[in-house]
Amino acid sequence: MSNAELMVGAFYNPHLGAELARAEGIDHLAMADPPAATDPWWPAIRARYTLLLHDYLGQLSEPLDERSIARARALAELYGTPWVAEHFQCLHTADGAYNLNYVFPPLYTEEFLDRFVRNATALQARLDQPLVMENIPGFFDVAASQWPEPLWLRRFFEATEAGFLLDLPHVWLEAHYHDRKPEAWLAEFPLEHVVELHVAGVRDDRDLGGPWIAPAEPSDDMLAFAAYALRRCPRAKAVTFDAFSPSLTAEILLRSVERIREAL
Amino acid sequence: MWRSDGAVILTSSDRALQDDVIRALADAPYRASADWRRRGLADPDRLERYARFLARHFYYERIVQFFKYSRSLARVTARAPEVVLEGDGFAVLLPSVVLGSRETAQAVARLVVAHVAATRAPIPYLGDLLRYEEAMMLVEAGPRVWRETAKGEGGNGKGEPPQTVEGTVLLDLQYDLPAVLPQLLQPWTELPRAPEVPTQLLVARSPHGRVAVARSDAGIAAVVQLADGKRTLEQLAAGAGLPVGQLEATLQGLVELGAVRFSTGS
Repeated sequence: MSNAELMVGAFYNPHLGAELARAEGIDHLAMADPPAATDPWWPAIRARYTLLLHDYLGQLSEPLDERSIARARALAELYGTPWVAEHFQCLHTADGAYNLNYVFPPLYTEEFLDRFVRNATALQARLDQPLVMENIPGFFDVAASQWPEPLWLRRFFEATEAGFLLDLPHVWLEAHYHDRKPEAWLAEFPLEHVVELHVAGVRDDRDLGGPWIAPAEPSDDMLAFAAYALRRCPRAKAVTFDAFSPSLTAEILLRSVERIREAL
Repeated sequence: MWRSDGAVILTSSDRALQDDVIRALADAPYRASADWRRRGLADPDRLERYARFLARHFYYERIVQFFKYSRSLARVTARAPEVVLEGDGFAVLLPSVVLGSRETAQAVARLVVAHVAATRAPIPYLGDLLRYEEAMMLVEAGPRVWRETAKGEGGNGKGEPPQTVEGTVLLDLQYDLPAVLPQLLQPWTELPRAPEVPTQLLVARSPHGRVAVARSDAGIAAVVQLADGKRTLEQLAAGAGLPVGQLEATLQGLVELGAVRFSTGS
């Protein structure tokens, strides 16, 4: 794919609606939340941009219920999205008693692979658009996991033929916290399935005692890593600046998209 | 399941194991317990760090959502609500935090209210506003339904006694807050004013976690206070002083709001 065909975009942050409605140089916007009924900029945003459905639809460790599927279909139609994104996550307990409210990966086991393959296949059958699945970073390892994450992902994509939404900072962070070179760790992932890439900034977090995703500009190193990864993703169609936060400024968003485009 | 060090992990499935990890991250007292620690599933230091990161993130999102009007007033009060997450008060709470619990929501909301209320800015309705925002945060807390079940939720309303959902709140305010709230989120130069009119609001949550607010009155308040899952419609109508037909319409609205459900007897 030539860079001319590659879409470069960002997330729709409603508090930046005015700036995004008149921005130049952004090909698409990923939608993390449905538009608010009171959002004055939504009509202009919808008319102007390619929109990517990137909401929380449900965790695919369990089958999505009819209500969730209907919601996913309605949002996909509203956005006219070219693909539907979900995450490799399992963030609330089966009984609903505990909820982390933040992406958290499943155990990389045979049982969870079977669950995700079965439930993603069922979801794909109910969607009119292809499904893409995003990798989630682990800050710590759980002793019960049986497979390395990249191998587990490869088996998932081979079984489902879903697309891969490769979150590069997630790969970079895992490499950082496991003392590995990001490029070497990346090479283990099934890059031939990548449809979309996420690029973001990281910032030191005092609780974690090290870097984590933040609503900040990507560093030069991260941009170089993105360019390196993109060359290895022959089916990639879009690169998205992954920042969705009330504290994100228009300046950071617009400059990040511009710098990503230049780096690629 | 056997681990490489020979320990046996007693669990019925990987899903149950995942639930145990999620609980350890969400529930600080459980994380500190011997039950969890003896399982040796994760590096304790890494797990603790990540749990604290999650706690700050969890309550940042809720403070930004439920105290958004106080955030809008921060240029007058000079007290952004979310600042409390970086303070000593929240650090003291961390060993007892259970993400999503009413107790932790109450404790965090109290920190926010105390912080914002200490402003010297003369905002007549600030006390009412903080009570309203605190109520929103408390009502949102608690377990929720993530997936529909075949049994449905809330019953069908035919013959079962109605019951007020736990956590539903009636707020008696000195000012008509709904009249001023939208203005606070629009650009303003002069502080928006709220009419000083006694106002009662009902704050409730749907089983899926959607928090809703509606104006209340004496009839609605009586129904909410009397619906205990035992009184029949006729008894409730008599107690609330409403005709049965009006009571049924009121109940329908309360069910849609999430304030009342019909008992299923199980």
